[in-house]
Amino acid sequence: MPTAAPEHAPGRAEADGIAARARGLTKAYGSGETTVLALDSVDVDIARGRFTAVMGPSGSGKSTLMHCLAGLDTVSAGQVWLGETEITGLKERELTRLRRDRIGFMFQSFNLIPTLTAAENITLPMDIAGQRPDQAWLNEVIDTLGLRARLKHRPSQLSGGQQQRVACARALVSRPELIFADEPTGNLDSRAGLEVLGFLRQAVDNLGQTVVMVTHDPGAAAHSDLVLFLADGRIVDEMERPTAEAVLERMKRFDTVRAVFDGGDAPADASPGPAPGTASGPAPGTSSGRSPEESEESPESPDKD
Amino acid sequence: MLKATLRNFLAHKGRLLLSALAVVLSVAFVAGSLIFSDTVSRTFDRLFASTSADVTVTPREDLDSQIPSGATPTVPASLAERVARVDGVADTHVDASVEGVTVVDSDNESVGPTTGAPTIVTNWYVTDRSPVKLTSGHAPEGPGQALLDADTAKNKSVKIGDTLTVLAQPGSFKVEVVGIATFTTTNPGAALLFLDTPTAQTELLGSSDAATGISVTTAPGVSDAVVKQRIADELGRNAYEYQTADEQAESAAADLGGFLDVVKYVMLGFAGIAVLVGIFLIVNTFSMLIAQRTRELGLLRALGADRRQVRRSVLVEATLLGLVGSTLGLAAGIGLAFGLIALMSAFGMNLKSTEIVIGVATPVSSYVVGVGVTFVAAYLPARRAAAVSPMAALADAEIAGVGRPLRVRAVVGSVVGAAGAAALVGCAVSTDTGSAASLLGLGVVLTLIATVIAGPLLVRPVIRVLGGAFPALFGTIGRMSQRNALRNPRRTGATAAALMVGLALVGGMSVASASMTKSFDQEIDRTLGADFVVQNQNFMPFPQEVTDKVRDTDGAGLVVRQRFAPVAVRLPDGDRIKTTAAAYDPRLDEVANVTYARGDTAAALADGAIAMDVDFARDHDVTIGSTIPVEFQAGRKTELKVAALTDQGTSDGFGMQGGLYFGFGTVEKYVPDGQDSALYVNAAAGTGPDQLRSRLEASLDPYPQVQVRDQADYKELVRGQIAVLLYLVYALLGLAIVIAVLGVVNTLALSVVERTREIGLLRAIGLARRQLRRMIRLESVVIAVFGAVLGLALGLVWGVCVQQVLALQGMKALAIPWGTVVAVVVGSAVVGIVAALLPALRASRMNVLAAIAHE
Repeated sequence: MPTAAPEHAPGRAEADGIAARARGLTKAYGSGETTVLALDSVDVDIARGRFTAVMGPSGSGKSTLMHCLAGLDTVSAGQVWLGETEITGLKERELTRLRRDRIGFMFQSFNLIPTLTAAENITLPMDIAGQRPDQAWLNEVIDTLGLRARLKHRPSQLSGGQQQRVACARALVSRPELIFADEPTGNLDSRAGLEVLGFLRQAVDNLGQTVVMVTHDPGAAAHSDLVLFLADGRIVDEMERPTAEAVLERMKRFDTVRAVFDGGDAPADASPGPAPGTASGPAPGTSSGRSPEESEESPESPDKD
Repeated sequence: MLKATLRNFLAHKGRLLLSALAVVLSVAFVAGSLIFSDTVSRTFDRLFASTSADVTVTPREDLDSQIPSGATPTVPASLAERVARVDGVADTHVDASVEGVTVVDSDNESVGPTTGAPTIVTNWYVTDRSPVKLTSGHAPEGPGQALLDADTAKNKSVKIGDTLTVLAQPGSFKVEVVGIATFTTTNPGAALLFLDTPTAQTELLGSSDAATGISVTTAPGVSDAVVKQRIADELGRNAYEYQTADEQAESAAADLGGFLDVVKYVMLGFAGIAVLVGIFLIVNTFSMLIAQRTRELGLLRALGADRRQVRRSVLVEATLLGLVGSTLGLAAGIGLAFGLIALMSAFGMNLKSTEIVIGVATPVSSYVVGVGVTFVAAYLPARRAAAVSPMAALADAEIAGVGRPLRVRAVVGSVVGAAGAAALVGCAVSTDTGSAASLLGLGVVLTLIATVIAGPLLVRPVIRVLGGAFPALFGTIGRMSQRNALRNPRRTGATAAALMVGLALVGGMSVASASMTKSFDQEIDRTLGADFVVQNQNFMPFPQEVTDKVRDTDGAGLVVRQRFAPVAVRLPDGDRIKTTAAAYDPRLDEVANVTYARGDTAAALADGAIAMDVDFARDHDVTIGSTIPVEFQAGRKTELKVAALTDQGTSDGFGMQGGLYFGFGTVEKYVPDGQDSALYVNAAAGTGPDQLRSRLEASLDPYPQVQVRDQADYKELVRGQIAVLLYLVYALLGLAIVIAVLGVVNTLALSVVERTREIGLLRAIGLARRQLRRMIRLESVVIAVFGAVLGLALGLVWGVCVQQVLALQGMKALAIPWGTVVAVVVGSAVVGIVAALLPALRASRMNVLAAIAHE
């Protein structure tokens, strides 16, 4: 099935180095008969200074991949490196420090601490570390994201798009080696979504950052340099310089393949998800009408009482 | 709907745990106090009913006093023969029984109980009503033989053959223990020493014809009441006091009831605190649960549940909590009652053979309190739940209920607060003790309510100040914890209120007691001029021998005796006042400084003269030269002329209303068998006070009931008495703090759950576990210190007002125990840290991914 896997060989040449890589990365939930493989021996390299998108239907393991690469989740087997540091095997405390100092995060929602102002949220990781932010860089980030007038505002006083820009600024301000964005446009209307994607693009092109974005929106993926397609815990394909149309086509094909191969035996958690086949057409940034993608997180979700 | 409620209840049982614990504690104290007092009263009712003689004849006495004169009222023993001839009397016994005697062993150590329970020396005779039976040795025969009760013998290691010395009023005498008597009933805690009847009469009462009463056994078939009537007719209706067994049991129970009431009220005080503090906890819990369930409630509403159903579902949940809590509390209350009974046994009151009595009132009040409290506490949150609109189901789940305005609270709080402040001001300026005390009570209640209501409004300004240094000290973690505490002022306010209540109490009481101590210190400095005071620990009288020994001590100069006598005075304005008068030797001025408005010590202590407080005199139209009829015990009467008016500033208090005193001759004449209560001793010329002290202590060695005290010791003694009050307050405080800690734990734990995503985010972007724990700890500390500051501020105001009331009683000094204040603030910070332990641990253990994925 993963026809594209052999093509995706480690050590790609054209990027100026590797920001993060994984070898034989496997993540399993449950045990015995009920074992679910969220990631099945994934090998991946994230090129430095590029904007990589990870796509795949619900349950494909794309969020899990990001969590494992970012040191948020433990792996069942395999190795993960951030730069030259192998993070699999690091202790909790070292992982925390690594996330704080070397990785930036954007999530789909609830990105900001409600009690802190925008400015305080932006510098939060550095404040936690007890470091002074580089003032010139901070100013540049704030101006790039157009947040100058909003610095004293609390998150509740900001629009969804502004909140995501603050989160983006927070991810940028410590100049991390890698920025992970988990569905950063998922909760935004198309205009605000485009804006955020534009900033991520700018962060890569103008500020030299490395961004990995998890999404299932072909329009969002089209802003990246490289799209990795995940299905059933494996990287099944990749696409350079993607367009929304091409990505959508790829996703459709990929669904068809799955339908043919798996028939009615498709696992329950591998539901069609974004249902790209029903979309009227390629609409970059279109994010309305989708159901929240929750089933993916459920295997290890806490007691949701 | 009911099914959904039940599901909810079970699903949230972890979060309701601490609320349930608060209910359990409240109910446990209510049930425990009721069970304990029921059990003890039943036990003693039985004891009294089974040990009281059918009819007793005792001296008639209406001048009871808390400060005894040392004289034992008696009846002629020969009455027994007259009583025996009355129709229906089967048998009579002469009683010769004296309480408050000191009995010492060969090392001059008292064998009496150390708990303050009396040592009773009495005559030995056996009836089927005797509470003891002879278990070893033989009955006392003739002088020099005695029986001791088995519990005392065991506690003080006294064996048959040992010699004891009885320090009785007529004189001390030695007895050999010839037998041990064991209680067949509950031992109320007293030490009992039995002599044979003639010895008891002569040695204890000073006459072979004296008795403290006659016990009568009635013939079968005649009722006690009838026999009592016949005896009264024979001896004269008003000559003596006649009581049937039932009446004795009743009056004995009433005496005991006073003590039991104290225990009961203390326990109910604990219950009250527990209830009060528990309410805050429950309110908070339900408010938070409902805030968390806003979406779910909205969905219910959208699906067609009406407001009433939503409200009812919350209230049903509360009622379930109340039922569970009450049931557990009732069980805990039974345990508590057992514990109290065990404690009483440790103090010598042996109740171990009794079965627990659970009256109907116990479960009824337990459930009323438990369910009632929960229901009331959940009512407001329930209304809020009902107000959730169906739209809430569709809205994004942000934490609700944060920004609602506090205007109503501001208005109600300031109105009630103003009323309370007015009452307190009124109390401070009032000159009448009664009205000042009631204004004080009103003011305390109103200001407390006002502070509770307005607490959330004070959260912002006070915590801004308290936590103001946090960002500087702890950086962004300090900032987040301070803002978290400010986040929901209602919640912070209610959490802190629980701590506030307890600390306000302690603040007020410690100001009052410090002021009392300071006032007494000043008073002692001002009035006590003697080198030493020889006195009993409890201010009880002691035998003549002690006085003789002190006088005979080498180097003792002036010795001024003090005696007390219960009196009733009829005053010119027509009032008859029962009080206690003091009597002194003539050279009082040399050992005490008395300030006179009119007259002097010589006039006051002259034969036929009396002195009193000038204010008391004014209130009752007494002037210098007024002739006052004075009644003493045993029906003795005289008239005394007012010869001096004192202006001591302390007139009332300690049962000494009016500050009456007269010469020693008067008391010796009208209270012939009285005993001295204090001796004021000055060193003779050429003897140093230290020298005299050691000599006095040596010569008083055989009398362990009295101690030699100088001014400093005397202050210490008075302080000790005041401290007892404080211990009780501290115990109350301890309970209040325990529940308040539960409240803080509860709030933090629920907040942590509520902020799961936020915590996950913080962890994701690199907040270390240690930092997260610190953040929660600091929030907890700031909430606890907020409660402490509010409580202490309130308590200090109360304390100053209490002191104003005390000032009317002569305790004019105001002292604010700053040390205690600082200790309480520091202590509250520690409380905050302790309360944060579990929630912080829970938060730091939270799975980062799960936290991000929450909802």
